[in-house]
Amino acid sequence: MSEVQGNGHLMTLEDIHKWFGENHVLRGIDLSIDEGQVVVVIGPSGSGKSTLLRITNLLEEPTEGRVFFDGKEITDIRTDVNKVRTNIGIVFQSYNLFPHKTALGNIMLALQKVLKVDEDEARSRAQQELEHVGLEHKTDSYPSQLSGGQQQRVAIARALAMKPKLMLFDEVTSALDPELVKEVLDTMRRLADEGMTMLVVTHEMGFAREVGSRLIFMDDGRIVEDGIPKEIFANPSDERCRSFLSHVL
Amino acid sequence: MAVAQERDKPLRDFAWFKRESTRGSLVALGLGILALLIATVGTIAVLLGHGLTPVESIVAAFKSNEMTGVCLWSIGLGIAAAAVGWGLFSRMPTKVSREEAIAGAVLGMQAIGLGALLFWFSGGDVSKFAINYLNFDPVIPQIDAFINGAKNTVFLAFTSEFLGIILGLVLAVFTISKRAVVRAPARAYINFFRGTPLVWQLIFIGVGIPLGLGLNISTYTAAIIALSLNMGAYSAEVFRAGIQSIEKGQLEAARGLGMSYFQAMRYAVLPQAIRRVIPPLMNEFVILIKDTSLVIVLGLATGERDLMSVGNQGYANTFNGTFLIFTAIGYLAVSLPSIRIVNALERRMRSGLLGIGA
Repeated sequence: MSEVQGNGHLMTLEDIHKWFGENHVLRGIDLSIDEGQVVVVIGPSGSGKSTLLRITNLLEEPTEGRVFFDGKEITDIRTDVNKVRTNIGIVFQSYNLFPHKTALGNIMLALQKVLKVDEDEARSRAQQELEHVGLEHKTDSYPSQLSGGQQQRVAIARALAMKPKLMLFDEVTSALDPELVKEVLDTMRRLADEGMTMLVVTHEMGFAREVGSRLIFMDDGRIVEDGIPKEIFANPSDERCRSFLSHVL
Repeated sequence: MAVAQERDKPLRDFAWFKRESTRGSLVALGLGILALLIATVGTIAVLLGHGLTPVESIVAAFKSNEMTGVCLWSIGLGIAAAAVGWGLFSRMPTKVSREEAIAGAVLGMQAIGLGALLFWFSGGDVSKFAINYLNFDPVIPQIDAFINGAKNTVFLAFTSEFLGIILGLVLAVFTISKRAVVRAPARAYINFFRGTPLVWQLIFIGVGIPLGLGLNISTYTAAIIALSLNMGAYSAEVFRAGIQSIEKGQLEAARGLGMSYFQAMRYAVLPQAIRRVIPPLMNEFVILIKDTSLVIVLGLATGERDLMSVGNQGYANTFNGTFLIFTAIGYLAVSLPSIRIVNALERRMRSGLLGIGA
């Protein structure tokens, strides 16, 4: 267990297959992510983007294949998945804030219960993260008192407070009203500028082009294109990718 | 919007009332109210005038001329109210006046019904009924026993509810486990206690187990154990429904932050689920208050008796059914406030004041 696995990449997926019943959702995914990369995953709905993302922190277990994170195989049954997840932040489409906790309480909870940080320190760290996403004035608000964009920024702050090495974003702007999308994307853009490693499933092509350092196009459970966003947008080599881009752009 | 504002206006002034009503509608309403007041308050006044004890004075009250007067007046005024109300309501110019005419007619008919019932009752063998059900003399010395019985009923219900809720919460967490070996025993327990009668459970635990196993448990303790075990099974189902009503994303968010399954349950899912199931749990509690009466089958000692046992004991000793009337009054005195609390809680829940909206 002490040997370093995964060939020095931060995250490696190795020949991942996923079945939901009869449904073959992922059909052999190989993907490595290095520190500092902002990997944007696009593709038609049902292509397996979200499943791929959720396999990265084992919210879904792969039916076949192995996942390596930070030099360890996390699909090994002996790995403490809870510990691994503290290093991988995830933000969901539907925010999933805890409705019975304030913005501050949402962030403090895992700091106290998982990282065993004492209350005062958890409070000051949570405060810092709220400032980071520009919501220092909403500390005592409950999720129901916040707009969708604000809730999503709290969710980002909650994930960031754990000081993760990798952040996963699962269509985080899809549930938002159009005028609220920008504030969330701006938060993510700043995060990328600060050097955070990110895996982003999104339909925001502008974000993919300008912020992404790497673009992956998925179709039918496979990675079809993998390259530099501006190049793929300018000249997609795969026919399906070209057709998808011509529809969404 | 105008309609909503009109409805929200708390108090209307007299001018508004005068404008909306007509003379005819007010006559119908007035007659109806008067007729029903005579039928109810009049009867009570006549009864109190003659005195509630001894039982002969109640009989005398029903047989008195005053009571006949009450009957005839409430029937007569009731007929008048009904006639005026039904005759006028379709010709009323405003909504309020129409409602007043209809209300007058309905109240009048209720007064007719009540008056007729009283008339029929007073004409029959009043003394037989009164001796059996309205004979307060033997009950009054037992009031302390009833109060003690009410205390025991409340104690049995509260203790069993408390223990049952704890048991139910644990069972509910077991029943949603993904592991069959954890799920199966909990399900078996719940099915058993929901599938057998509470009376059987009380007898088996209160009599069967102490005798069969030679265990020295008091009857009162056995009653609490049986009620708690039963309540545990029912509240487990309530908790399970509550837990399953929490969106899957809540568990995922907690797990995604590195919490273990039990931490995610403890800190993210259960606090929300418990808030959601407070009204149905309180409803179970109201049912439990009445179910405690089944401990009568265990034969409790004098100081341990609950309301039902006290009433039944009195009835058995004296063959005086008035004890049963007092028992019912005792249960209403305990359960009606509880029902009010349940309703208030539900209303607050729906308006989101307990922290959880949708």
